[in-house]
Amino acid sequence: MSKRGSVKLAGVGKSFGSTTVLQNVDLEIAPGEFFSLLGPSGSGKTTTLRIIAGLEVATQGSVYMDGNDVTLLPPGDRDVAMVFQSYALYPHMTVFDNIAFPLKMVRTPASEIGTAVRDAAARVRIDHLLTRKPGQLSGGQQQRCALARAIVRKPTLFLLDEPLSNLDAKLRIETRVELRRLQRTLDVTAIYVTHDQEEAMSMSDRLAIFMDGRIVQVGTPEDVYTRPATSRVAGFLGNPPMNVLPVRLSGGQLLVGNARFDAPRLRPLGEREVLLGIRPSEIILGTGDVEATVTLFELLGEDVIVDLDLGGELIRVRVPGRSRIEEGTSVRVGFDPQKLHVFDRTTGERIDI
Amino acid sequence: MAAPSVAVLIASTTLPLVYLVWQSLRSTNLAMPGMDHFVGAENYLRLWHDGRFWDAFGFTIIYTGSTVGLQLVLGLALALLILQIPRAQWAFRTVAILPIVLSPVVVGLFWRTLLLTPDFGIVDFASRALGLGSHNWLGDPLLARISVTAIHTWQWTPFVFLYLLAALSTLPADLYEAARIDRANAWRRFTNITLPLIRPAIVMVVILRMTVALSAFAAIYAATGGGPGTATEIINLLAYRVSFAELSLGYGAAVAVVLLVVTMVVAALLFRLRRAL
Amino acid sequence: MVVAAMLLSIWVVPILWAIITSLKNEKEVLAYPPTVIFTPTLHNFHEVLFGPTNIVSYLTSSIVLATSTTVLTVLLAVPAAYSFARLKLPAKKPMSFYVLATQLVPPIGLIIPYYLILNRVGWLDSYKGLVLIYLTFSLPFAIWLLVSYFEDIPREMEEAALIDRASRLQAFWHVVLPQARGAIGVTVIFVFLNAWNEFLFAVVLGGSNVSPVTVAMYNYINTEQTQWAQLAAAALIAMLPVIALGIAAQRHIVSGLSAGSVKGVTRR
Repeated sequence: MSKRGSVKLAGVGKSFGSTTVLQNVDLEIAPGEFFSLLGPSGSGKTTTLRIIAGLEVATQGSVYMDGNDVTLLPPGDRDVAMVFQSYALYPHMTVFDNIAFPLKMVRTPASEIGTAVRDAAARVRIDHLLTRKPGQLSGGQQQRCALARAIVRKPTLFLLDEPLSNLDAKLRIETRVELRRLQRTLDVTAIYVTHDQEEAMSMSDRLAIFMDGRIVQVGTPEDVYTRPATSRVAGFLGNPPMNVLPVRLSGGQLLVGNARFDAPRLRPLGEREVLLGIRPSEIILGTGDVEATVTLFELLGEDVIVDLDLGGELIRVRVPGRSRIEEGTSVRVGFDPQKLHVFDRTTGERIDI
Repeated sequence: MAAPSVAVLIASTTLPLVYLVWQSLRSTNLAMPGMDHFVGAENYLRLWHDGRFWDAFGFTIIYTGSTVGLQLVLGLALALLILQIPRAQWAFRTVAILPIVLSPVVVGLFWRTLLLTPDFGIVDFASRALGLGSHNWLGDPLLARISVTAIHTWQWTPFVFLYLLAALSTLPADLYEAARIDRANAWRRFTNITLPLIRPAIVMVVILRMTVALSAFAAIYAATGGGPGTATEIINLLAYRVSFAELSLGYGAAVAVVLLVVTMVVAALLFRLRRAL
Repeated sequence: MVVAAMLLSIWVVPILWAIITSLKNEKEVLAYPPTVIFTPTLHNFHEVLFGPTNIVSYLTSSIVLATSTTVLTVLLAVPAAYSFARLKLPAKKPMSFYVLATQLVPPIGLIIPYYLILNRVGWLDSYKGLVLIYLTFSLPFAIWLLVSYFEDIPREMEEAALIDRASRLQAFWHVVLPQARGAIGVTVIFVFLNAWNEFLFAVVLGGSNVSPVTVAMYNYINTEQTQWAQLAAAALIAMLPVIALGIAAQRHIVSGLSAGSVKGVTRR
């Protein structure tokens, strides 16, 4: 693990006039980490990335790289490389010139440029396309060209702004793996912005979840998955996402609409209205106390997703296997009490039980 | 980088205008340099009572209105027509470019000498061949006015044509297909789909052509010089003649100021119309 | 199709007639009815270019005037338009409206003050005087045209260049400018056209020193014995550059016409 490439944000905030888009952002990223900024559109994750890049200046707080305060430093002086969502390739230059551009800007001697460019291009497997122009490349090839341009300088920090969002689904998954492998080989800190939670979960060492301009949770993928900090986070992760239902706790029982479940484990919480979280894969069909009606059935290949009407609330269940269940029929539903997540009804904050 | 250029820009147009207005409040005769003096609104009063001015004003309105109207109708008709023949478009575009790139002074001269001259001008020849007889196209006041309008229209209709052709080409074909299925005939399709969709383009091109027509100078100057007498004198020309032929700069400036105000008002109205659409 | 061809002839015929006339000898021109079949001669062109009253000096004048205007305009307008497009000035909207308004001022209103100002400075009938005045109308026009093109170039590319350690200037030179080539081309065309075809300013503010072809044309008519064929030849030669430019660059011109509504494309 390299020692260089740590990033720290302390109390960073950004406002445009009277609109605040980012508040109280505190982050510490270790060298060599693959760190994702995850959140829905408009949550502030791209703004944060641009502040780290130096393309925007924070209106509050400070940015540190390797211990140095870089808050006001222009992007060119920060030794960061960035891959934009639109790739931002220079359309009038060949692939070779695109990749060579950063080296030219620091006056690298021409002999070195040639080797470095070919090296970078080979790493992302576009070394056969060096004489083409971006307009002649496919989407995936353009993306790799943008990557090559970023890695050719061997930067300390690698920033990626939703680089896979313009690729088709299959390519996206393949490229995910490649990106991760590349980052590990180069041993460079990577900060990755995405709204796709599957991407973030599969690629990151750690991630930060943004909502409405604030960070709501930071942790490893496993942390955020098994212990989501708020009901919104819970409802954001997973495919399909965790079911979050308004329930009433009373005398050790769960009341969902007009269905009742026994839940002795929750008795200590007393009488209250809460939000209950249960994953689609942790709902058991066929046995249990309560009956629910099937409203939709989707076959996903190896699994099926069943939408159920449970006491007036919609829940989604993911079950392995391919057996068909007719819409309109009734099934029994149960859950493992250990797998329940409880959140405060008003604040959405996690309640530990 | 922008600041100095913009400052120069503003200075270079505002200052002369201020000077112009100031000039219009004085009586200046270039033939008698020592006699400049301030006369206040006298020039404007003179203007108000000057028959020649009102003639020019009237003609300017008629001229501008008719040439822009004709350009619009002809240009639109041509554009609609050529739209149907994609293969010929290149040829038409090339031909259309030519009148536009010529210097208006040359166009005025061409028409005056080669086309409208009685005896060997081809317009005259054509009119005789059609049994309309020979006429003094530029010598007779009414005919001169018509000729001058025709010249301007000739030169600029291709502009309207090209502009509207470009606008029409952007209209999606499936709108028309949908209309056909809804049993709209050609006229209906034109009025309900085409016209509303290119209305912004039409307004824009009218604005452009109108401001140009109001300040048309070279072509008329070359063709008739404002004559016969003052028949084809639009306000622009009147200002010029008064200032440089009669050397009465003050009065000329006043006329110019009036033209300026008229142009501004027309442009403002048209822009407001454009935003309203 | 037939109708279209007929309408088209309205514009083709006069131009064709000018060409035909220029190839006739003077007597032929005066013939009635006008002839279309005749023996063409290049005599007129010869006279116009090499004869005693040739227009070569006028052509030179036009070339110098139009070229200087174009070069200066582009050199000044490009950086100005770029800053204008990129800067987030609150004054932007009224500013661009003002630039637009300057285009609406009828030239006659400015001629008088310009004449007096140039007279006072002693720059009448001089290239520097005329180019300066020409700049007052080509610069705002060029800036206006270029600003919308610059705004269309995505910022991300410049940002990528900045991250790649380019300075703002380098980013402009290597990344933005190549993209703007088309726009600059269109601007050059229009500015040159307008400058070449300008008449009013040339005739009032010019003189024996600065006499472009547009003025020469006018002088042809004022001589006692108008030689029609020579006039036609002279006019054709005078208009040759702009015609060639027009045909060669027609696609650019058409795109320029409709690009964000180009204002008053050519001089009246």
